[in-house]
Amino acid sequence: MKRRKPWFRRFGVLFILLWSLVPIYWAVNASLQTDQQISSKPAHYVPPTPTLANYVSLLGGSGALPDSVRRSSLNIFIECGAATIVTVLLSTLAAYAFARMKFRGRNVLFYSVLATMAFPAYTTLIPLYQILTRFGLVNTYTGIVLVYVSGFLPLATWILYNYMSSLPVAIEEAGQVDGASRMQVLWHVVIPLARPGIVSTAIITFLFAWGQFLFPLVLSSDLSTQPLTVVIAALQGRHVVPFTLLSAAGVLAMAVPAVIAVMLNKHIVSGLLTGSVK
Amino acid sequence: MSPGKRTSVPAPSLTYGEGRRRPAGAGRRRGVDLLPYALVTPLALFILGLALVPAAFTIGGAFFRMQPLDPPTRFTGIENFRDLFSDAAVRSTIGNTALYVVIGVTVSTVMAILMAIILQQKFTGRGVLIAVLILPWALPGVVSAIVWSTIWDSNAGLLNSVLTSFHLIDHYQVFLGQSPLVTILAIELVQIWQIAPLSTLLILASLQNIPGELYEAANLDGCSPWATFRRITLPLVRPGITIAMVQAVIVTLNVFDQPYVLNGAASTGASLNMQTYFISFQNLDFGEGYALSLLITAATLVVSFGVLKLVYRPVEF
Repeated sequence: MKRRKPWFRRFGVLFILLWSLVPIYWAVNASLQTDQQISSKPAHYVPPTPTLANYVSLLGGSGALPDSVRRSSLNIFIECGAATIVTVLLSTLAAYAFARMKFRGRNVLFYSVLATMAFPAYTTLIPLYQILTRFGLVNTYTGIVLVYVSGFLPLATWILYNYMSSLPVAIEEAGQVDGASRMQVLWHVVIPLARPGIVSTAIITFLFAWGQFLFPLVLSSDLSTQPLTVVIAALQGRHVVPFTLLSAAGVLAMAVPAVIAVMLNKHIVSGLLTGSVK
Repeated sequence: MSPGKRTSVPAPSLTYGEGRRRPAGAGRRRGVDLLPYALVTPLALFILGLALVPAAFTIGGAFFRMQPLDPPTRFTGIENFRDLFSDAAVRSTIGNTALYVVIGVTVSTVMAILMAIILQQKFTGRGVLIAVLILPWALPGVVSAIVWSTIWDSNAGLLNSVLTSFHLIDHYQVFLGQSPLVTILAIELVQIWQIAPLSTLLILASLQNIPGELYEAANLDGCSPWATFRRITLPLVRPGITIAMVQAVIVTLNVFDQPYVLNGAASTGASLNMQTYFISFQNLDFGEGYALSLLITAATLVVSFGVLKLVYRPVEF
């Protein structure tokens, strides 16, 4: 492997770049053109007269479309933010207990948490809808956040468990010898040491939440809770929205995760790999 | 789980809290150590209430006639399953989903192995390339579907434009919704775009565990790069390939976003999970929806386990 021919590597690097970026470039390219320009054959490979008109009609002014895009953008931020905070908080506490304490029922609980990761998330789609209906939580932020948290907790706990188990016990023991309670040790010693793992977990949870579609499609019935993904998917379905506008909507919905992925990729990679060991 | 649910009264107890081997502070606690229970209770409640109980609903509900608009609910045995298998729409989605899984798992794994081998080497810009690699993984399925719809589009798509420029086709083609095979291939490629990055990282992690001496020895013995790949790399990255394939099985067997957004309800590309969605939330037949969910879950577990048995071999260095 060490002595691969350079052409192999050059070809591979070029392939990865094109494969990942061409589709994104093409959507951005289309979003900056007018309807007439985009219908030209062959296509314009760069926008002849770049225009932000599509973004303006998605976001600016009043009307059903910009209203729905703005409201659903707010919704997606609220739902992802809340789900991330709750998931990280609860998984940090549980991971600390699993990594450092022995208690009755520990293994039963730990393996049930892990086992849920082998099941497809959609197994529980219909029952969750029924349960949320029963408690009047359909079409509420609370309902959606509860479902997201239950979905992301197992992976978050697993990543943090692995991360905390890899930390040296000696520092915590020193803390306990100095008379600190275990909660103080958690707060002042473990959490600061586990910060990289916690940051990775938060980023991955946020991205997962941002990507949700079928759950909010079922669990939110109107604009009061629908996230951006549900609203822009509905645009595609209607076929009355111009192609360029749809591209702009796609670019809009990818902006936040794309920036996170590019800026914070080291955290994402280390988190995903911590979650996959063994 | 039960002893810890109540966080009151730490008083004397029959159960023995296993507080040994904690050097400091071990003397402080004599009864049941309640702290770990307090820490895991929220997690336990979430898993119990929003994963295990719903899963039990799915298993039980599959054997009931349950239609919210047309009560009553009553036990009907395997009738839901019989209805499912006699439904032509369901049968066609079984075939479609099988194709999604076969194409998705094979192509994403092969691509991931190749991309991981590239990224295993050290070169300038490798960090940037990894950032570019994981970009599609970070995007929502809906967004990747919309992004790729600008490639497959029959009026303004990139593919049509490029193929016409190279005179490979003489007029613009419709790729989605005509031939089932082409439609499924085009849609699954979008999902592969999303899942291949994670597979690559998993395999890359496995690759980096292989000790360099093995390659040096192979090189001294005059092994060709291909022989080295076949005899050293491939056998030793089996753990990474296994995890990559299992996660690919889980997501491809449960594909929803990409066919739903790119092809709508059209039968050319409808997946099993789309069918569950239509049965449950458009026809409002929850019983049949439960039955189909249960079948998809069972299929996911069986296929994942099969892949595990087939591909995984323990590796020790």
